[in-house]
Amino acid sequence: MTHAVISCLHANLAALEAVLDDIDQRGITTITCLGDLVGYGPQPNEVVNLVRERAIPSCQGCWDEDIIEGLNSCECSYPSQLAERRGHQAHQWTAEQLSEENKAFLASLPMSLRRDRLLFVHGSPNSQHEYLLPDMDAFAALERVQTADADTLFCGHTHRPYVRELRDGVIRVRVQAPTDPQSPAEREMALPVRRIVNAGSVGEPRHGNTHATYVIHDEATGNVEIREVPYDVERTCRAIVEVGLPPVFAWRLRHGFEYAERADDASHVCER
Amino acid sequence: MARWALVSGLQGDLALYEAIQRDLRQLARVDTLFVLGDLIGPDRDANALLARLQDPRRGELAPQCIYGWWEEQLLAERGYRGERRADPLRQQFGQAAVEALEQAVDPGHLAWLAALQFGFIELDCALLHGSSAAVDDSLGPDSSPLLLLDRLTRMDVNRLFTARSGQQFRLELSGGGIESQVRDLEGQRQHQQSVPQRQVIGIGAGVRYTLYDPGSDRLDFLVAGSRPQQRARGFA
Amino acid sequence: MSQTLLISGPPGCGKTTWILNQIQSHPGPCGFLRLVGYPDEGLLQARDGGIDLVWLQDQCPGLLDLADPDKALAPRAAKLLALIELPQFQPPTDSGLAGVDRRAIPQLEALHLSPDAHLHFGRDAALPHQDTLDFSSLQAWGRNLAGAVWDPASLSSFWFELVNGAYGDVYRAKALMNLPDGRAFFCNWMVSREGSQFLPLQTLASPDGRPQRLSRLVVQGKDLDPAAIEVTLADCLLSDAVLELQQAPLRQRKAPPHPSPAA
Repeated sequence: MTHAVISCLHANLAALEAVLDDIDQRGITTITCLGDLVGYGPQPNEVVNLVRERAIPSCQGCWDEDIIEGLNSCECSYPSQLAERRGHQAHQWTAEQLSEENKAFLASLPMSLRRDRLLFVHGSPNSQHEYLLPDMDAFAALERVQTADADTLFCGHTHRPYVRELRDGVIRVRVQAPTDPQSPAEREMALPVRRIVNAGSVGEPRHGNTHATYVIHDEATGNVEIREVPYDVERTCRAIVEVGLPPVFAWRLRHGFEYAERADDASHVCER
Repeated sequence: MARWALVSGLQGDLALYEAIQRDLRQLARVDTLFVLGDLIGPDRDANALLARLQDPRRGELAPQCIYGWWEEQLLAERGYRGERRADPLRQQFGQAAVEALEQAVDPGHLAWLAALQFGFIELDCALLHGSSAAVDDSLGPDSSPLLLLDRLTRMDVNRLFTARSGQQFRLELSGGGIESQVRDLEGQRQHQQSVPQRQVIGIGAGVRYTLYDPGSDRLDFLVAGSRPQQRARGFA
Repeated sequence: MSQTLLISGPPGCGKTTWILNQIQSHPGPCGFLRLVGYPDEGLLQARDGGIDLVWLQDQCPGLLDLADPDKALAPRAAKLLALIELPQFQPPTDSGLAGVDRRAIPQLEALHLSPDAHLHFGRDAALPHQDTLDFSSLQAWGRNLAGAVWDPASLSSFWFELVNGAYGDVYRAKALMNLPDGRAFFCNWMVSREGSQFLPLQTLASPDGRPQRLSRLVVQGKDLDPAAIEVTLADCLLSDAVLELQQAPLRQRKAPPHPSPAA
């Protein structure tokens, strides 16, 4: 079966429509969404409505959680005071706009979805806030997939799509116990082959241009295609200004910069 | 170089603490005492021990304490952890244990317990009750090496000292590697990563405690109150 | 023998950098004066507000301020190199001293300065060649930031947005900015050059509240949006409470910290 995985829609309707068109044109009917349906963008209700109409199974992103629970991510998730203030402004605006029904929908989203040996999460199996960047420590990356008991882990949150395969792993250890300190026991663990697939971002790309990104996975061949989809960026930029969000959000989107920069520390997990 | 003494799981036992202090006075070159959590427990009144830890006697090594699993349960139950309560304790040992734990600690000690840290970083060593992932993370000599490596990586340290499992051990990552291939919109790259030379050390609990010499990397696994033949049992 | 040079050129051509090099290679005493400059048709001169002087005095201790009227009548030191900077968009119509903008003469006379030579960027070969820009219409905007202290990471984001066009078409931006640890940076960007300069001042303020020194942002360009800049500034500058939170641990440490530059 061939299925599509989308993530980080961020209330960008034009981008979501373009991506869904692209998926439809390929005749793909199974779509999974990795969360962050809202946040920063100008059409939170429209985007949530479209995901609901299409009955796309979604897990909850950090923005979806914060909109329901109130801001409870720690300050460290923002790299600067400026990013934090803008994030809070976007949060407040989004919380005011979202209908109660859509808030209830976001609240109902699960932290993860599982299909056979495929696991779908927003950030990592540990946390919606953890960034699995493509260059993170390979053993730590493998540990995330292995501990979650999956073969392939689909994640988002970083807004940069990638496919990472971890293979030929082995760890040798020497264990010394107090009862027999002079003859340590040696053992070896052969690590399984595992994959991490990051679906990028539909509504707030940060891979160098303005195109929306998502991935298509062919379960039969194992092939993963990273798709780039151009869309009407100006339509979203106009909407940002019209609804009264900071015009600098439109400028950043138009230039392919994220609204607020990502946290630099790849392995950082909020202690909440 | 001076050595560290690493102790955990006193669970309110002042007599045991005094026995360890007596040992330390007889042992050479021990200048720092770390108490890695579980100062309290449900089985005995912990107030005398808590008072002593906060107010050491002359001639004793002043303890540097962090909180452990039992402190976490008490602090949660008493509202120091937001919405969380002592549910793990309740599930494992029942409501009676929760009440016994509350009985064991005078409310006057709660503020001091609440101010304790999750862990210490000393030189390139992390001193923790459980692990970098959680206070209840029980690491032992049979734990998955992948998991242990992850816990070391999270703290970016070369030595991780843990107490939660109660076991004394030294597990050394001695070799191996992994192949990683990343494909993104810029192309494809391959990367080979080696297993770093790092260690996880179980310090024991209760009567079992550990000495560590950061200068020579030598460990001594001791039992409180035994004669110093344990020194011969140590190894580098 | 003393020498007085008048250096003119359009914004961002490198006047101050050239002057700094002259001062640093001159064995004797040096003085500096920045004239305000005169608006040409449609082209507004930015009020520098003392940024260049503070930057040069920080880099060259002992540099005389030639604008100080009290010292204007005092006898000048022997072998004084007096450098006068004049922002000027258009090349002079006449060569040599005859080309000095007539509007500058009264100011120079009042300070008892009479240039021995006039060099203009783009005209005189003694000055480095620069890609001089065609400024057809230029706005200028300045903001006094006295006492303002930046969140370092926010300064980096703001500067990135500023010079990349988030607040209008910026040709030139320069500033002196304070950081909470007591350092200040001379931030300098011009459209004709690659990248921004972030140069630390030698002078450190103690991490004890808001520094008293000059701090200012000057921007030149087209379609500038000062209101949007103000909104971002408000989100970047530290409140008293946050400043205190960041400075308190620094005061406990005796030595001044040397973290990596902000941007």
